[in-house]
Amino acid sequence: MMMSAVTAYGLLTHGLIFGALFALLPLGPLRHRAALGATALALVAGIAPSMHGIFGTPSLTLLQLAILAHAGRPSPFNVRIACGLLGFSAIFYTATLGFGPFDPYAPGYQPLPMLTMLAALGLLLWWRGQYAWLLILAIDLAGYASGLFANLWDALIDPLLVLLALILAGYHGIKRLRRRPQKGADPVR
Amino acid sequence: MIALSPPLIRRASLALFVAALAAAVWRAPNPPAPAFVPPPASSPSALPAYFTAAMLPQVAASAHAATLAELPDGRIAAAWFAGSREGADDVAIWFTTLDRKGWQEPRPIATRESTAGALFARIRKLGNPLLYSDGQRLHLWFVSVAVGGWAGSSINHTVSLDGGDTWSWPTKLQTSPFANISTLVRTPPLPLADGGLGLPVYHEFIAKYGEWLRLSPDGKIIDKARMVHPVRTLQPAVVAQDSQRALALLRDAGPFPGHVRVATTTDGGQHWQAGEALPVRNPNSSVALIRLASGRLLLAGNPENSREAMLLWVSADDGKTWQPSRTVETAPDGGAEFSYPALLLGRDGRIHLAYTWRRQGIKYATFSEAWLDGAAP
Repeated sequence: MMMSAVTAYGLLTHGLIFGALFALLPLGPLRHRAALGATALALVAGIAPSMHGIFGTPSLTLLQLAILAHAGRPSPFNVRIACGLLGFSAIFYTATLGFGPFDPYAPGYQPLPMLTMLAALGLLLWWRGQYAWLLILAIDLAGYASGLFANLWDALIDPLLVLLALILAGYHGIKRLRRRPQKGADPVR
Repeated sequence: MIALSPPLIRRASLALFVAALAAAVWRAPNPPAPAFVPPPASSPSALPAYFTAAMLPQVAASAHAATLAELPDGRIAAAWFAGSREGADDVAIWFTTLDRKGWQEPRPIATRESTAGALFARIRKLGNPLLYSDGQRLHLWFVSVAVGGWAGSSINHTVSLDGGDTWSWPTKLQTSPFANISTLVRTPPLPLADGGLGLPVYHEFIAKYGEWLRLSPDGKIIDKARMVHPVRTLQPAVVAQDSQRALALLRDAGPFPGHVRVATTTDGGQHWQAGEALPVRNPNSSVALIRLASGRLLLAGNPENSREAMLLWVSADDGKTWQPSRTVETAPDGGAEFSYPALLLGRDGRIHLAYTWRRQGIKYATFSEAWLDGAAP
């Protein structure tokens, strides 16, 4: 059976995303091996096809973050960006699911106006020295240009990326709450 | 590892971004404004009064959601979903054709397993199919669900080049950013002047409304529009009125009692506006709509508060007013269901109708305009 390029991309990416979760665990020197093992397991044990069926095709942004996690490189996906993405996606997904007359997903099929805005965003990232995000955006655009995605939005974001942002923001929030001195505790002298 | 100097990173990242942006601009579709293929000039049908009806061969305990298409050689093709019950694991899309010998033995053309195998993705159940022949290719779109109910549906597309004998591997249409869920298909597409198609679809996760997908001649989605309506609506059935105007009649999924709801476009499907509801009642059930050879419109649907009859209405003024025409079948026994009609106008002027018969099978009827106008067969 011939596998389409979109299906092959989706399966491999979901495998890498599943493996990347293990790369985030505190397993010391075993971390990378565990991540690779989990990737292989996801591909052969039906986890990646299940994720592909449930979540659809992952974005290239998420794929690149997963690759950075596998490589043990620092992620540019910090809590500020996670909170920004959460705010944006709350509006975006709510509107695409039918609240209000406008469907913001539709412009992604003929995305010349969107590309104009992304050109401005790219210049802003370059000016601010955010080269990691500039490269991620460049690869997203190259992926769209390859024909892998019918809609530009799908190269940029996806619900799993938003879930990751939610986990990151939640983890950061819990850490901040724990750092606060508790009521009744002895003040630090 | 090679260490890159900061100025080099600065220049290289910008160069890569500009190159990727240029490639994306080059690839982005920039199609001409859409236009419908206008309806052909009307001509009175010369066919005598004529009506026949028969059940399609039964394949399983439960059957639903028939669709019809005419093949280039004049055969009528039908597809529907059937299995032990709606939503069951064994539900498949069944296909058959009508030739001079009658209906051929139906065969499954898409199953849960074959779809999951082709897409390499989990599939929980299959639903509504839609056939359409563009003269060279026979298209089949059908709904599948990975998780949850019908609101979690997405649309698959497959094509046959030999009248339905063999089919390409299905591909999934990417219609939604949220895990590609909640786009369903039921009613036939309209041909567009550029060789593409306008495919009416609908959304039913949280909100319920009709949508319009513009497909390029090679089948890619190049635009999407929402049929905004103050009432919850589903399953738009669409006819073109000229190259820019089209009329969509929709199932009323709002509070009881419902009416057949209306949406219209005046710009080739780029934008849709809600129109005044028809005086025709709708008990939250699917309707079918075609333009007849005479230029009149034919609507099939159910009566006010049940699916216990399959009724026809005719409009001679492009959908402004509707007159009851015929009752195809009725059985007010409390448990009867004659629903989900599919209409097709054959090239010879015959009208074909298929509908769900008591959820047990699919009934097929064929008739002429003269019969619609009350003449006895």
